[in-house]
Amino acid sequence: MAGAIIENMSTKKLCIVGGILLIFQVIAFLVGGLIAPDPTAAVPYMAAKCIDLQKNHHKTKWFIPWGPNQCDKLRYLDEAVNRQIEANDIVFAIHIPLPKNEMSPWFQFILCILHMDIAFKTNNQIKENAKVSLDVSLGYRDDTVSEWTEMAHAVETRKLNCTFGAPKTVEHEGKFYDCDFLPFMEIGTVAHKYYLLNIRLPVNEKAGVNVGIGEIKDIRLVGIHQNGGFTKVWFAMKTFLTPSIFIIMIWYWKRITQMTRPPVLLEKIIFALGISMTFINIPVEWFSIGFDWTWMLLFGDIRQGIFYAMLLSFWIIFCGEHMMDQNERNHFSSYWKQVGPIAIGSFCLFAFDMCERGVQLKNPFYSIWATDIGTELAMAFIIVAGICLCLYFLFLCFMVFQVFRNISCKQSSLPAMSKVRRLHYEGLIFRFRFLMLITLACAAMTVIFFIFSQVTEGHWKWGDFTFHWNSAFFTGIYGMWNLYVFALMFLYAPSHKNYGDDQSNGDLGVNTGEEFQLTTTITHVDGPTQVYKLARKEAHE
Amino acid sequence: MNPIQRPEMYIIGAQPVCSQLPGLSPGQRKLCQLYQEHMMYIGEGAKNAIKECQFQFRQRRWNCSTVDNTSVFGRVMSIGSRETAFTYAVSAAGVVNAISRACREGELSTCGCSRTARPKDLPRDWLWGGCGDNVEYGYRFAKEFVDARERERNYAKGSEEQARILMNLQNNEAGRRAVYKLADVACKCHGVSGSCSLKTCWLQLADFRKVGDLLKEKYDSAAAMRIGRKGKLELVNNRFNSPTPEDLVYIDPSPDYCLRNETTGSLGTQGRLCNKTSEGMDGCELMCCGRGYDQFKSVQVERCHCKFHWCCYVKCKKCTEIVDQYVCK
Repeated sequence: MAGAIIENMSTKKLCIVGGILLIFQVIAFLVGGLIAPDPTAAVPYMAAKCIDLQKNHHKTKWFIPWGPNQCDKLRYLDEAVNRQIEANDIVFAIHIPLPKNEMSPWFQFILCILHMDIAFKTNNQIKENAKVSLDVSLGYRDDTVSEWTEMAHAVETRKLNCTFGAPKTVEHEGKFYDCDFLPFMEIGTVAHKYYLLNIRLPVNEKAGVNVGIGEIKDIRLVGIHQNGGFTKVWFAMKTFLTPSIFIIMIWYWKRITQMTRPPVLLEKIIFALGISMTFINIPVEWFSIGFDWTWMLLFGDIRQGIFYAMLLSFWIIFCGEHMMDQNERNHFSSYWKQVGPIAIGSFCLFAFDMCERGVQLKNPFYSIWATDIGTELAMAFIIVAGICLCLYFLFLCFMVFQVFRNISCKQSSLPAMSKVRRLHYEGLIFRFRFLMLITLACAAMTVIFFIFSQVTEGHWKWGDFTFHWNSAFFTGIYGMWNLYVFALMFLYAPSHKNYGDDQSNGDLGVNTGEEFQLTTTITHVDGPTQVYKLARKEAHE
Repeated sequence: MNPIQRPEMYIIGAQPVCSQLPGLSPGQRKLCQLYQEHMMYIGEGAKNAIKECQFQFRQRRWNCSTVDNTSVFGRVMSIGSRETAFTYAVSAAGVVNAISRACREGELSTCGCSRTARPKDLPRDWLWGGCGDNVEYGYRFAKEFVDARERERNYAKGSEEQARILMNLQNNEAGRRAVYKLADVACKCHGVSGSCSLKTCWLQLADFRKVGDLLKEKYDSAAAMRIGRKGKLELVNNRFNSPTPEDLVYIDPSPDYCLRNETTGSLGTQGRLCNKTSEGMDGCELMCCGRGYDQFKSVQVERCHCKFHWCCYVKCKKCTEIVDQYVCK
């Protein structure tokens, strides 16, 4: 890849391009902060304690916590003893959402976690490694009068992880244990308006099911969904970004094919990066508004994974191709050592995601963390992925170090070189330094914003004016990586300028003969493109 | 008739008309009509508050039993003492707690989303950015309702009555803030592959016992105040730090809770059980104010060797035990 646009651009024009990109970056940031609401909302629910009066425990009957046809409820479970109600007669019912609201496909997903209020009693304590067994069914309906339709039913076990803050004495009876949240449910589309959860905690003394789990006072649930406003802004952004990246990608590829030499590896990987970015950008999520596509969440994860893998591979290859030693790389297989960890790491995360979200397509209550084997498996996947990532960064740092060493080496011998050769190396050095700079800036921005959005409260308020940091983080970072890919494809596209200038102004040009030996075959292109014409016109002026 | 003995009195949701409720101020009556479905939970909150008050003071000479007649809202605790301060704070806290809880149970239709009175925009708000937090709703509603009674009274600046209003307002606020302060932020990460790129947080109410514990601490460190010339409360003793909105204040010294006194409303400690071996407030020496105690044996039937489930089902044997008990003279 010789003579990229970035080398032949004047500093002034580079600044203008940089300025325009910066403006778009600020816009992306402000769109999230000012227009979009917080990305997600959490709605806490408290389960109604319905009494299943029919002794046969009809499976098809639904218990509704409020509204018409609501179930016969207990305010507090203490009342149950006097009314001779047994644990198996109690059904915890939760209606999502709260009264007067309805769910909408714009919410994209619902994620639920469970929290149990367990009171301490000296003679009814939580046993070691206690497990709670939940018999859950999820139903839906789309109007307030029709029957509930069952969506899923499962019997799930969850580990109870509770601690008691005070000494376990009679004095502290009635205080609650501090229990960890239990992962409960995840559904990938919100295609229906009303959802109903019925949870039973059946006791079976012989089998030891739900024995020694303390005295449960209440079951609380937190439903998390994406905010409709955020979804709309996000979709709008994707819809806007898709054509922008797509057009520059086509333009980039056209430029490459216009050259008579075959594209080099670096050009190919930049193009692949563009494709993976477009893949993320394509707003297929619009279909989730009309269709009940539960796999959308998984699909989104996979798309992101592909992009990250591409980005990481690109950095490695970019470093390798700017190594400036005499080794001939230009082939994917020469990078197997560095790309290998990326592939393994991505595969591990993919496997983990399939084990969690993939299974959730079938059973929304499934959680890989619920069983010991599952936890170990998940941890194994994550640890391997983590090791791969560390390995990758070691390789990357080493390569960057090598490049810089070579640069300083070359720089000392630069004055002694022929003009053409010198210009070539200067170009390479500039290209590398420029990318290093913007990559580091982007990575630093991502990390800083990430930390910032984790520490701050999510939004700042000035009177009526609210700035949502979390949303700004998402749109800003998403916009930033889009701009990064955009800038990469634009600035690192092969320039035509040198060929034109080769004849008119020898100073700027690179001798093709020299180039041949350094990278790959380059012969003259058929003719300057529109952009090149424009560029040259400006250059002459 | 003491409401402590008849707590079901507070469950006023059963009563059809707000105007028939005893002890509501005119402003509260209006709010009662507007938010009829809330009333049951306010009553429940007050009931819980009294339970908590009695738990916290079970070993004190004053055991939270001197609450006046009529209803919680109409309590005329005529002396602006520390104990009064505590009862105001704990009832305000109880109301916040109960309303927030009712929100989560889906029992209140105005809950969460109703940041302001604009029901037309509600579904839009919900779709766009979700609903407000229900602890916040509980706090705002309790503030409006509980403080209504104090706000509608007008007294001359610097008068005793005004001092009392200021004291009540401060203590109500302290109670509400205790709930808010103890509610902790819980978060859940749910980014790609469960990473923390996306984190959602919400407020989680603490166990009401913890609120009671905190308010009891505030009771112990309550500040003595008097009305200043500018119509504001000021410290009696300037050497102390002035109270924050989270602190309890009082304007009158506590009456003697040892002896029964009709004018102060003190029930006295005669007939109270005490602990012979304890050196603390529940010990017979302090509890009986030096009057001495009677000892008697009582037969206690207790449930023992029980088999428990997580709820409801209890299989027990009965055990009898003879214990010594001490009662103040």
